[in-house]
Amino acid sequence: MNTYEINMRVNEKDETLDVQGDETLLRALRRIGYVEVKLSCEGGDCGACAILLDGVAVNACLMFAAQADGSEVTTVRGIGTEDDLHPVQEQLIEKGGVQCGFCTPGVVVSAKALLDENAAPSREDIQRGLAGNLCRCTGYKKIFEAVSAAARQMREGDDS
Amino acid sequence: MEFLRAASVDEALAAARDGAAFVAGGTNLVPDVLFGRKKISRAVDISRLDELRYIEEADGKIRIGALATVTDLLDSDLIRTAASPLHESALEFAGPLVRNRASVAGNLMDASPAADLAPPLLAQDAIVELVSVEGERALPLSEFFLDYRKTAVRPEELVTAIVIDPLGAEDRCAYYKLQLRRAMAIAVVGVAVVLRMNRGVCAEAVIGLGAVAAIPYRAHAAEAHLRGKEIGEVEIESAAAAAADSAQPIDDVRASASYRRKMCGVLVRRMLRKAMGMPQTVAV
Ligand SMILES: Cc1cc2nc3c(=O)[nH]c(=O)nc-3n(C[C@H](O)[C@H](O)[C@H](O)COP(=O)(O)OP(=O)(O)OC[C@H]3O[C@@H](n4cnc5c(N)ncnc54)[C@H](O)[C@@H]3O)c2cc1C
Ligand code: FES
Ligand code: FES
Repeated sequence: MNTYEINMRVNEKDETLDVQGDETLLRALRRIGYVEVKLSCEGGDCGACAILLDGVAVNACLMFAAQADGSEVTTVRGIGTEDDLHPVQEQLIEKGGVQCGFCTPGVVVSAKALLDENAAPSREDIQRGLAGNLCRCTGYKKIFEAVSAAARQMREGDDS
Repeated sequence: MEFLRAASVDEALAAARDGAAFVAGGTNLVPDVLFGRKKISRAVDISRLDELRYIEEADGKIRIGALATVTDLLDSDLIRTAASPLHESALEFAGPLVRNRASVAGNLMDASPAADLAPPLLAQDAIVELVSVEGERALPLSEFFLDYRKTAVRPEELVTAIVIDPLGAEDRCAYYKLQLRRAMAIAVVGVAVVLRMNRGVCAEAVIGLGAVAAIPYRAHAAEAHLRGKEIGEVEIESAAAAAADSAQPIDDVRASASYRRKMCGVLVRRMLRKAMGMPQTVAV
């Protein structure tokens, strides 16, 4: 067996773990408890496994865990906590952008990455920004509304 | 499977033997390994070789490092202005999560008939630069794809850069990806046209086609109807017919072969008209 010790900083916590050479980052993250990163298609199609890797939104299923050695990983829990929600999370609740919730961790990651780059996205910008995230429940409309509202909230610096 | 992160190009080349494969973004290779479509003995990780990640202008050419991502193409003013078909293809490529990892070299090396970057790179006379322990060589992209998912690159060779000719102020171009939805879709047909103009005459015409044959290719017969001509209705109709004739498409879940062939002609016509600033024959 080819096992490798890797180090990552996940949601600002240092993690050292042994991974198999062909283990995906998604499987490794879930194995050590980061089950908020969802496992679904494992082929890059659904976006449920989206994380920030050194600040860039990527699919955790499309890379080997060992490729992330030395990297900083942020999951949905690192973007906001239950006591201190990110505006995207707040607005997803507010606007009803969550039904079963399975896509939500990935949607939050993609939406945060979008708003970090584009503080005033158009509807088309939002659609393109979330193009890699499948949602089987909401029909997307309420998700798009939530992201718009979160952008507004962040521009106004309104944390209430 | 062994895993090795290469600290340098030399280290990557030395490790590339006995059933090893390079891994860049991993967007093709990782699921191929996971689902057993590819068996490799060792993954040689090149994704941290930052010296291969750049987009720059040098000696009148645009040099794109092998590890430049599709997002890098989108963010580059140089690509937007001097390689606009490539820029448009990047916009239509997958979604942001994949684009952030997908590398230019990985797209070509995967050698899918529908590789989105291939038609626009073909249309700008791309040269692929390769290196192995035996030395360096350069290969025109038009000689790169040999057969379905088969390239002229040897297993131990590393793509280091892709070099293209920038578009000049007089040059005309257009790109279209026919797809069943506007993101995360594999191309039904991909067309890129570049017309190098000299005082109203087409000095050079290059048409890159994707998803209409086993490999992405240049429609040489269609180009011949344009080269050296003042381009008008007659030249465009002849080129479109020749492009459709050249297609050898397949039936699959996305489209039938006959639809692909027909759309290949239609889209070559539309893109040539668009490039030349002519009105479309039907509303597009
Ligand atoms: C959900 C999803 C959507 C996609 N959508 C699109 C799309 O819209 N359009 C499209 O064209 N493609 C698409 N792809 C395919 C894929 O993302 C691209 O082909 C991508 O550019 C591959 O780059 P990579 O860096 O991830 O390659 P990897 O997976 O790392 O490697 C791919 C192949 O190239 C080899 N390789 C990589 N770099 C080098 C190098 N420098 N030298 C030699 N060999 C090398 C590897 O050994 C491997 O065989 C999609 C894939 C997924 C999973
Ligand atoms: S599980 Fe990674 S994209 Fe679906
Ligand atoms: S809320 Fe169920 S998949 Fe999006």
